[in-house]
Amino acid sequence: MTKWAIVADLGRCVGCQTCTTACRHANATPPGVQYRKVLDMEVGTFPDVRRVFVPVGCMHCDEPPCRDVCPTTATTKRADGMVMIDYDICIGCGYCIVACPYQARYKVSKPTFAFKDQQTQNERARFDERLLGVAQKCTFCVDRVDYGLANGLTPGVAPEATPACVNSCLSKALTFGDTDNPDSNVSKLLKRYKSFRMHEELGTGPNIHYLWETEDE
Amino acid sequence: MSAAPAGGGGKVEKVQTYCYQCVAGPDLMTVKVVDGVATEIEPNFKAADTHPAEGKVCVKAFGLIQKSYTPHRILTPMKRTNPKKGKDQDPGFVPISWDEAMSTIAERLNTIRAEGLVDGNGYPKVAASFGGAGTPTQYMGSLTAFLSAWGPIDFGFGSGQGVKCYHSEHLYGEFWHRGYVITPDTPRTNYIINCGANHEASGGVCGVYRHAEARGRGAKRIQVEPHLSVTGACSAEWLPIRPKTDAAFLMTLLNVMVHEASRDRLDLEFLRNTTSSPYLIGPDGWYLRDPETNKPLLWDEKTAKAVPHDTAGAVPALEGRFTVAKAVTLGADDERWEHADVEGVTAFTKFVEHVREYTPAWGAKVCDVPEARIRKIANEFLDNACVGQTIEIDGQVMPYRPVAVTLGKTVNNGWGGAECCWARTMLAVLVGALEVPGGTIGTTIRINRPAANRLESFEGCLDGFMEYPFNPTDRDTWKANPVIRNAYKMLVPLVGNSSWSPALGPTQFSYMFLDEPQDQIPRATFPEFLLVYRTNPVISFWDTDRVASVVSRMPFVVCFAHTRDETNHFADILLPDATDLEGMQLIRIGGTKFQEQYWKTQGFALRQPSVKPQGEARDFTDIATDLAVRTGLLEKYNNAINRGSHGVPLKGPNWDFSIPLDKAPTLEEVWDASCRSASAELTGGAESQGLDWWKQNGFRTIPYPETNWFLTPALKAKGLRYELPYQERLTRIGRQLGNRLKEAGITWWDHQLTEYRPLMDWHDFPGYWEQSVVEHGGKVEDFPFWVVTARSMQYAWGSNMHIPLMREVSGNVKGHDGVVMNPEAARKVGVKEGERIVVSSPIGKSVSGRVVLSQGIRPDTILMMSQFDHWATPVAKDFDVPSMNRLTAMTMQLTDATGSGADLSRVAIRKARPDEQGRSGEKGRRA
Repeated sequence: MTKWAIVADLGRCVGCQTCTTACRHANATPPGVQYRKVLDMEVGTFPDVRRVFVPVGCMHCDEPPCRDVCPTTATTKRADGMVMIDYDICIGCGYCIVACPYQARYKVSKPTFAFKDQQTQNERARFDERLLGVAQKCTFCVDRVDYGLANGLTPGVAPEATPACVNSCLSKALTFGDTDNPDSNVSKLLKRYKSFRMHEELGTGPNIHYLWETEDE
Repeated sequence: MSAAPAGGGGKVEKVQTYCYQCVAGPDLMTVKVVDGVATEIEPNFKAADTHPAEGKVCVKAFGLIQKSYTPHRILTPMKRTNPKKGKDQDPGFVPISWDEAMSTIAERLNTIRAEGLVDGNGYPKVAASFGGAGTPTQYMGSLTAFLSAWGPIDFGFGSGQGVKCYHSEHLYGEFWHRGYVITPDTPRTNYIINCGANHEASGGVCGVYRHAEARGRGAKRIQVEPHLSVTGACSAEWLPIRPKTDAAFLMTLLNVMVHEASRDRLDLEFLRNTTSSPYLIGPDGWYLRDPETNKPLLWDEKTAKAVPHDTAGAVPALEGRFTVAKAVTLGADDERWEHADVEGVTAFTKFVEHVREYTPAWGAKVCDVPEARIRKIANEFLDNACVGQTIEIDGQVMPYRPVAVTLGKTVNNGWGGAECCWARTMLAVLVGALEVPGGTIGTTIRINRPAANRLESFEGCLDGFMEYPFNPTDRDTWKANPVIRNAYKMLVPLVGNSSWSPALGPTQFSYMFLDEPQDQIPRATFPEFLLVYRTNPVISFWDTDRVASVVSRMPFVVCFAHTRDETNHFADILLPDATDLEGMQLIRIGGTKFQEQYWKTQGFALRQPSVKPQGEARDFTDIATDLAVRTGLLEKYNNAINRGSHGVPLKGPNWDFSIPLDKAPTLEEVWDASCRSASAELTGGAESQGLDWWKQNGFRTIPYPETNWFLTPALKAKGLRYELPYQERLTRIGRQLGNRLKEAGITWWDHQLTEYRPLMDWHDFPGYWEQSVVEHGGKVEDFPFWVVTARSMQYAWGSNMHIPLMREVSGNVKGHDGVVMNPEAARKVGVKEGERIVVSSPIGKSVSGRVVLSQGIRPDTILMMSQFDHWATPVAKDFDVPSMNRLTAMTMQLTDATGSGADLSRVAIRKARPDEQGRSGEKGRRA
């Protein structure tokens, strides 16, 4: 089997948001819709303070709460673990947006553009009416992954088959791969280093894994 | 199911080009173009094995598509119709043809040429301001050839230089070890003490990449700064130091290393043989020299006598006092004294005695940090230095010293910057970690030549050090009158006289002296013609209201304009150039460049049009050629191109692609010849691929030896030493400069002369800013906070404040939306998160913004990130986020000897009144 996942090394992430912009480009999302973004978190009290950058987005959960609440079966889970939305079926009710514990879903009801009401050439070229009034979120750049698989490329290794956020990461904090394959890039990282998953106690089985201390165990 | 994102069909092209928006570039990227429209920026995966960060580009590059298509773009040449220039005046710009714009400009320039290039006071009539620390030249095509053909130009009107850069480091770094910008050897270092440098925001793609790799293998960085920056977040420890006390902290580390640690933990061999530590100092403070040769003496332990520093086989004594039978000392202005049976003390002993008073207990008090942490850091530095160990790189065995010290902006400029640089360099010197693998190293040079290879940029001098191109201070050749308005050549010997020096000098003086004529120098005059490109000094300099006032009085201003902004608000002509994704230019890549760009290759990359220029925007090379024709400078211009002033000489040892001198070249002809010459240069003349090949392939490189990253082997190969710790040359030059100024009756530079000392020491640098409060008529207790700033990767050097994507994603990073302050400070002021405060500085200026609470900042300090204070730039003018630029005093008192100031001010804070809530232009922003 295959289970696609992202490993995010918090020791490497610098919060630069390059992944956020790369995702915005790749998916042509409207202003404010950030399938991938990086949180800037602070813990402690002066002078004992830590600040940490945490990439977030759809966790492509094993048991996605968004799917469970979807009244139209628009949200489904592929055999390879990716959680998908069928825009033709979605009615935009927003239950999934509320149900997602990771705040990963967005809904935009009317066209919005970077320069308010002035649509630029690139926005015009990439305007996607299908996304109006429906839920949208990170797809793990499924089109790239599927393209890669169809052409004998390894997702997470070949850039053409890898999510844009991972490709763009300056610090190599993000790695994409198949956790079901023990020899994959992500499996090796998870075996070598300590990791955790966000809100694991909720039983959602999220598939973004966070490396915290990257010194060898 | 979820389908592929829209807009992927049609004719798809992947265009290779580069991003050099900031000094941390260039980075290689790909633009995805669908049916002629740029839709996505991607890394250049083809450069994964060539570029030091695998062909990635940072967040700023992703803004380039909105930059191309912004509806706010200036699409035609424009002229001002309102002759009145003021912040409150509508310029009344109206579109004009290129012919009208260029005719108007040429008419002005031709009048100047006819009447003389220099005015009656000796100042060039044409001035130019280019920002971005040199990055504009990567976008201005062959304009550099036109500038070269023109003649004298005042390049000294700064837009951040001195106050926004790493000024002390540029000058002292290049003087001591040919390091204009200084970094760790990050791939090998294990321990970094970092005073305020924000590598993760301003170190560029390569910096981020290298430091992430270093953290991944367990390297430790101690971040020393008043607020917890992005870089602090990515560091092992944060030491929240009191602003402007870094020099004290570093000197305290020196104290621990020489007064608490045993000597064998230092690199005694390096100190003895690669530095001036064993040089003997006479009672008058000058080197004791051999009476015959004038060479400095050291004490040879083998023969127990003083011998010239380069005596073969001598075993220099590192420490002690020795009696020298005969010696001479050389002072300023050819003063010479003869000595007999004179006591000489080694420079190292002088240094040890000098830092004795800088104990950890003292430093803890000055810096407001725990004494135990200072001691711990000093010892960890020693523990990690690996003194005695070596490493082999490309077959060359070199010292391995994986410890480094780096300095950030504000630490590194203005008063105290020189002391920080000296102490930082001495920390490296003590353990032999200067310019060796793992240690503290320089990237590039800008004052010395050749710029492309710092290892070939020096010869030795009599004293056994690297020669340095000081501006002269002797009686015969000192420049008593400024050659440009900022007087860099007259006042700052260290800044030299390279093509970069005018813009490195005290660039604020270009503005200040217009309204504050200084005694005994010709009164500064307004240039008759000011050219501005990729810079916005009215918003990005210090005391920005004052800069605006000066620019508003410039007789004729031409701005290359992407959108309207605060500087081109005062322009007479706006010109739209084909910018990042539209223009063409071949640039050098590789080797070692600014910030953390260390390559293992070198070569060229082509910026080629990904898309057609918007509107009537023109390629810069076409604009420059047109100017050359209209001003009758075509032959000189073509000559300059053939010489390579645009980046690549067109003639080499066995190739010649020179363009004819008498014909106006087309854009393609200039760059085709350049591409052919670049191909020839990289292949020793064997190949000559032209523009078509480079468009297809994007870049080409040949190997660059990694061993060239380090200067020390080249220094030792020439039998030279670093002039550290003792600064005889600087002392002499300072004395001479003092003599010249005194002879000229100039007293206004007296305070700056105090920076010329043989051993740098601590002064109450924070007190200088407190004194500034008093000088402006205030009371220090009324201004109880410090305001500092920090770089932001989303914006740094990018001129991209008008790009909504940057605004959007920078909102994910704390500090971009307001004034960061500690909750304890907020309690004192009586404000909560999100409430509006008014921040006032001693110069009588105020700004207001919303409170962003953070535990990651000292309670006595507030942070205003970046340079948000726009009132004309589209998008940015609606940010409602304050900048400290308006608050910072631009004064002679706060200008150091290198000509720089610091982003720092004492401020008062109060809660905004109800009528000051929300942004309402100036009314809401002023107290």
